[in-house]
Amino acid sequence: MSVTRISRSFKDISLSFEPHPVTKDLPVITDARAIIRSIRNLVETIVTERFFNSTLGSNVRKSLFDFVDYATASVIQQQVVEVISNYEPRVDNLIVQVNPKPDTNEFEIILTFRIIGQDIPVQQYSFILEATR
Amino acid sequence: MPFTKFTNLDFDQIRVSIKDYLRANSNFTDFDFEGSNFSILIDTLAYNTYITAFNSNMIANESFLDSATLRENVIALARSIGYVPKSRTAASAIVSFTATPKSSTSILTLQSGLVCTGSASESSFVFSIPDNVTASVKNGVATFENLTIKQGTFLKKQFTVDISLNQKFILNNSYIDTSTIRVYVKGPSDSGLGKPYKLVDNIFEISSKSEIYLIQEIKDEKYELLFGDGIFGKKLENNSIITVTYIVTDGREGNGASVFDFSGSFKNESDSIEVCESIIISTIQSSQNGSDIEDINSIKNFAPRLYSSQYRAVNSNDYETIIKSKIYPETESVSVVGGEELDPPQYGKVLISIKPKNGTYVSDFNKREIQNKLQKYSVSGIKPEIIDLKILHVEIDSSIYYNFSQVESVENLKTQVIKSLTSYSQSTNLNSFGGRFKYSKVLQVIDGTDTAITSNITKVIIRRDLKAQINTQTQYEICYGNKFHVNSEGKNIKSTGFNIFGVSDTVYFTDIPNKNSDGTIAETGTIAIVKNTQSTVDSTKTPIVIQSAGTVNYTNGEILLNPLIITSTVLSDNIIEIQAFPESNDIIGLKDLYLSFDVSKSKINMIKDVIASGDDISGVVFQTKDYYSSSYSNGALTRS
Repeated sequence: MSVTRISRSFKDISLSFEPHPVTKDLPVITDARAIIRSIRNLVETIVTERFFNSTLGSNVRKSLFDFVDYATASVIQQQVVEVISNYEPRVDNLIVQVNPKPDTNEFEIILTFRIIGQDIPVQQYSFILEATR
Repeated sequence: MPFTKFTNLDFDQIRVSIKDYLRANSNFTDFDFEGSNFSILIDTLAYNTYITAFNSNMIANESFLDSATLRENVIALARSIGYVPKSRTAASAIVSFTATPKSSTSILTLQSGLVCTGSASESSFVFSIPDNVTASVKNGVATFENLTIKQGTFLKKQFTVDISLNQKFILNNSYIDTSTIRVYVKGPSDSGLGKPYKLVDNIFEISSKSEIYLIQEIKDEKYELLFGDGIFGKKLENNSIITVTYIVTDGREGNGASVFDFSGSFKNESDSIEVCESIIISTIQSSQNGSDIEDINSIKNFAPRLYSSQYRAVNSNDYETIIKSKIYPETESVSVVGGEELDPPQYGKVLISIKPKNGTYVSDFNKREIQNKLQKYSVSGIKPEIIDLKILHVEIDSSIYYNFSQVESVENLKTQVIKSLTSYSQSTNLNSFGGRFKYSKVLQVIDGTDTAITSNITKVIIRRDLKAQINTQTQYEICYGNKFHVNSEGKNIKSTGFNIFGVSDTVYFTDIPNKNSDGTIAETGTIAIVKNTQSTVDSTKTPIVIQSAGTVNYTNGEILLNPLIITSTVLSDNIIEIQAFPESNDIIGLKDLYLSFDVSKSKINMIKDVIASGDDISGVVFQTKDYYSSSYSNGALTRS
């Protein structure tokens, strides 16, 4: 039986599982939001955490307890680039900028990328990585 | 796509199935990307399915004796058909010693438990006895003769019976030799340790008053004791005290100890400790027959067979199963021949040959033990008799051609050939009673050893080792169970050298085929004893010492020697090797003959293949003496 895609857009489920206030449907995230969520999942997944796919994920968590400086930031940047280029084929022209914030003991990560095959502008997204224990 | 592969045990394939289903039935698209939220859900689903499938598969496998893999499940399934797997067996040694008590006691009792220490394989082991042994003191000396000591530590455990509980009597030690378990039950009216209870493995002839117990293996190779319920076997009374003694052993590691130091303790007639002067132990038999617990494969093999034999030795398979699983676990192979098949027939007898795992012969002591134990399984009127193993050795004389351009070292190639032949010789279908030496398989093994080997010409020789009775007039009969090839000129039978009474030179056996009245070769021949002045001399000029020393039946493969006094043999242990060429290159182990492929005495000649390597395109050189191999006997008078 041939398999055909129903939609060309990127459509993912939200793990919050909060129902839509009006339709009571499960929340759906699409396109850029779906990809951003995916990137966060990849970066935050620890290597060996996934069953039967032990190489998926990144080791950024290990670096969070190192000195918050540009050297560590560079390591984190390389790890983020590596995991995205290996496991997220939907993005292109990826630029990862990691800014150490020693005062608050955290790293700010700014991602700039283009979504392949979609006529939407270049996306920028930032998130904070912080050692919590 | 329908989701129909319920039995899939591969995680990735389960995942692909779920994705295929979603691809056709969902609005969502991102499940194809590893980082997506949907991918996490799919992983969870697939993992769940995988675990369920694995569990179902495991449950199905573990429910049947043939496919179960966990020991506790295999023994539970075997238990349901009444099979108790063999425990570890302690190595037993037989020793004798004398003890001189310091007090004037009339009897001396060697206490159960530690008796002595001995060393085997550079380790020290303790040897114990499960029961007290008493000897009377004569002239101030107590003699303990032929005492069987068992390798292992003697332990004791007590239980108090409480019938209000669902009580289990578990011996908390692994590696127990169950044959050393002794159980005493002390009821309210009993004294001392109480009454000894008897181990049984089935409920034949058991009444409600029988003082019996059963054992069953539980987890981690430990044992549980089961007592009667008042219907089959006497029921335990409340507050009875059960005392269990047993020996925990190292199994086969304890084999081979031959020097022992005494460490036991004695009690005298007044039941107090008796001190004896230093005791020297003489070893009658070094420790042997220690074996490990019966493995899973053996349980799977023998449990159904023992069930089908119903504890009765009727046909030869029953004997094999009962001897291997119930009587003598050290058995590697068993041959059972009914007396009616023998020539002349011996009705009412069953002849049994046993090949033990570590060695060639079963000791006389073990033979008697096996025979006694077999008696209760065998049919009335049938007498089982254990006879010594008769080994039919198969040797090869192989000329192996190799392409020398592909070989670094000929010696290495030869070593490889010997190695592969040795591993073939250890296969069970060869080293067994009723085994068969398959000529074509051996040729394949040789050719397949290395790509450099281009061909081989292999001759097969069968050999029996005659153990000569030195300086005694003895008649010998040697059976090969395979038809001999007959060369009309003789020299079909060859032997190693030996000396006979009245002749100073070393002599050998040879044969002279008889001829029928029409000049054709008869089925029989005469065995002659000859001196060997020149190995390739014509048979008519061979110096014959005894013209007619016996007969040979070429068809039956039998040599019968007339009474003869052999004074010595060239080979050690009074052995004379007698060989013959078989008519067929496939050799069988007939009846009680144990077939053994003797690689160490086989001849391997490595010969350059001048044709394959391109040195001799026309084949002219190949036919010269150095490169040519005959497929027939070398015509020598004696065995070399």
